[in-house]
Amino acid sequence: MKILVGIKRVVDYNVRIRILPDGSGVDTDGVKMSINPFDEIALEEALRIKEAGNAEEVVVVSIGSDACQQQLRTGLAMGADRAIQVQVDGPVQPLTAARALLKVVEKEQPGLVILGKQAIDDDNNQTGQMLSALWGRPQATFASKVELAGETATVTREVDSGLEVIEVDLPAVITTDLRLNEPRFVKLPDIMKAKRKPLDTLTMDELGVSAENDIQVGHHAPPPQRQRGIMVEDAQQLVDALKERGLL
Amino acid sequence: MNKPALLAGLRRVVGEDFVRTDEDSLAHFGRDTCDLFEPAPSAVVFPDSTQQVRDLVLLANDQALALVPSGGRTGLSGGATATRGEIVVSMERMNAVIGSNPGDRTIECQAGVITAQVHAQAESMGLFYPVDFAASGSSHIGGNVATNAGGVRVIRYGMTRNWVAGLQVVTGAGEILELGKGLVKDNTGYDLRHLMTGSEGTLGIITGATMRLASAPGDAAVMVLGAEQMELLLPVLERFGSAVTVNAFEFFSEQALQQVIEKHRLQRPFETPAPVYALIEFEQANDGDVDAAMNAFEQCVADSLLVDGVISQSSSQAHALWRLREDISATLAHRQPYKNDLSVRVSAVPQFLAGVEAFIEQNYSGFEVLCYGHIGDGNVHLNILRPHGMGLEAFKKTCASISEGLFEMVQRFGGSVSAEHGVGLLKKDSLHYSRSAHELELMRSIKRAFDPAGVLNPGKIFD
Ligand SMILES: Cc1cc2nc3c(=O)[nH]c(=O)nc-3n(C[C@H](O)[C@H](O)[C@H](O)COP(=O)(O)OP(=O)(O)OC[C@H]3O[C@@H](n4cnc5c(N)ncnc54)[C@H](O)[C@@H]3O)c2cc1C
Repeated sequence: MKILVGIKRVVDYNVRIRILPDGSGVDTDGVKMSINPFDEIALEEALRIKEAGNAEEVVVVSIGSDACQQQLRTGLAMGADRAIQVQVDGPVQPLTAARALLKVVEKEQPGLVILGKQAIDDDNNQTGQMLSALWGRPQATFASKVELAGETATVTREVDSGLEVIEVDLPAVITTDLRLNEPRFVKLPDIMKAKRKPLDTLTMDELGVSAENDIQVGHHAPPPQRQRGIMVEDAQQLVDALKERGLL
Repeated sequence: MNKPALLAGLRRVVGEDFVRTDEDSLAHFGRDTCDLFEPAPSAVVFPDSTQQVRDLVLLANDQALALVPSGGRTGLSGGATATRGEIVVSMERMNAVIGSNPGDRTIECQAGVITAQVHAQAESMGLFYPVDFAASGSSHIGGNVATNAGGVRVIRYGMTRNWVAGLQVVTGAGEILELGKGLVKDNTGYDLRHLMTGSEGTLGIITGATMRLASAPGDAAVMVLGAEQMELLLPVLERFGSAVTVNAFEFFSEQALQQVIEKHRLQRPFETPAPVYALIEFEQANDGDVDAAMNAFEQCVADSLLVDGVISQSSSQAHALWRLREDISATLAHRQPYKNDLSVRVSAVPQFLAGVEAFIEQNYSGFEVLCYGHIGDGNVHLNILRPHGMGLEAFKKTCASISEGLFEMVQRFGGSVSAEHGVGLLKKDSLHYSRSAHELELMRSIKRAFDPAGVLNPGKIFD
């Protein structure tokens, strides 16, 4: 079986985001970029499935500008066998990403696609679900445990009410939650080896997908500053303060 | 003075609510993180101004009291431990950041400001306070100055001393001094600010500190590298040092790593077995830096200096790798390790480490000995763990006598028996291995000049 894993280049989780002064977006100039953490978990899961003997090949795919080749190389160093870049300059919205991924899926015929449940830049949480619908195959989102047996996958999902276990027929789309696994560190010798692994580039034209986005983003603004708390002397003052604000 | 009168005197200075004598407070504030000494203070006081500190010192002079200045109590040498009925002067309430001055690139703090808060304040100014270590979430800036704290970025930025722009101090005689005044240049005689730095509360109580800030460094990447022997790590540092800007170069032994991994259920950096590891943090201003570091790594592997290594791919991973080093001290704490904090010149580190390894084998065969430290600064922490079943006193005695051989070796190398943790109570009997009799005599006369009645931290550093 072949596993396809999506990898997105995003602003590093620990970077304090700055909005551009004109509100047109987030300042990414000189900002540290990393693999979307959920995608790193997706790749780790794929590698573990392969290491357990349940898959032969892991292919990482990223939709983005040439800069995302850096994250693909990291994926190769973690242990992926091949990488595919779908070249797009500028932002990619979920439906566009899902359409492009569908074309790659049709080409590669994977038995399993693992994506992050969302990318931490736009927090859309849509691409996996959209790909599943376009592809006409089952989806198992928010996975915290994945077990493969023959033609099916048993997936534990993290849902609002707790955990839900479902079984899906393969091929399927799985999206990862935080607790699925802890991604490995990248070994330095493997970074050398990754330089020799294949990285193919496809264009949206070649895939026959329009890179145009359906949603126009109007404006970006930072969240309002949190107000300082106030100290109250006793329970009565607390009750009064809450009442005053209509909270009680 | 009898106890009620003493307490009444203290309360007059700091106020009714800020003198504590309950058992919990005495046990808690009576010692620092070195738990080899029994705390026995008479009271703990919490002044909230330089004036109150001064009044406490004057009271101490008047009534022949002994005061123990107390910061975040993360010290590792018993410097903030009160074993003889002293009054602990906790600086906890003097925790205000007084002001920041972007033009001077300084921030001015009361002594009780937590080190991590200085980091945060500097960051909010787009600048950087570089002294950092595993206890910076609890230690005070005043405590850092009093111990001249080092930490993990000394190799690039030096010790706390380099960043002290000005100090406000109450001397043992009760005089208030304004030292340095934030000036960059001031060659008007002896720089008393530097005498206060590292004085461990024996010359004056620091009530305020103006700290210099550095430009914020670029992104950093972290590698953990495995080697067959400790002494190979210095040539590794040389190769990386000429390839990239090194922010930190730390090391730890496999035994130390195992303790941290087991306790916190962390991920091993890699499976290849290695007896020692180096952690290197370097500035990653552009892709070229990572390539240069990769080349250095390849060279080291080709020269059989390293067996394997990993590199962080995100700041979360950098943080995860740092934990392997930074969590060691806290992980071992419950075993009450006997700590040696030794340093030699960086160029002497390989021979010194070879000597240390041989020494451990010969003298500590029955003990678990864990090594880690700031190897890039020539600084090695040797932690001897108490065997289960051995009493604390017997353990302390054995370690102290074994340490003598170690200190003789340090002396032969022209090294220090306390690289960054200070002398406090723990190392005062060993001071002569690093300082000449004449130096010690000069230190004593300096102490007398600042604190003629000997009210500040008596019995610390020397008797
Ligand atoms: C997990 C861990 C890791 C550590 N790592 C390092 C490290 O890497 N490098 C390093 O250098 N140290 C390290 N330390 C030791 C310790 O954190 C430092 O020595 C720190 O600077 C002590 O600050 P503090 O505020 O806790 O001081 P305390 O422990 O409260 O006091 C230390 C000494 O300073 C005196 N003092 C405190 N405040 C004042 C004041 N306002 N005026 C005058 N004297 C005062 C005390 O009397 C005492 O002698 C570590 C400690 C721990 C627990």
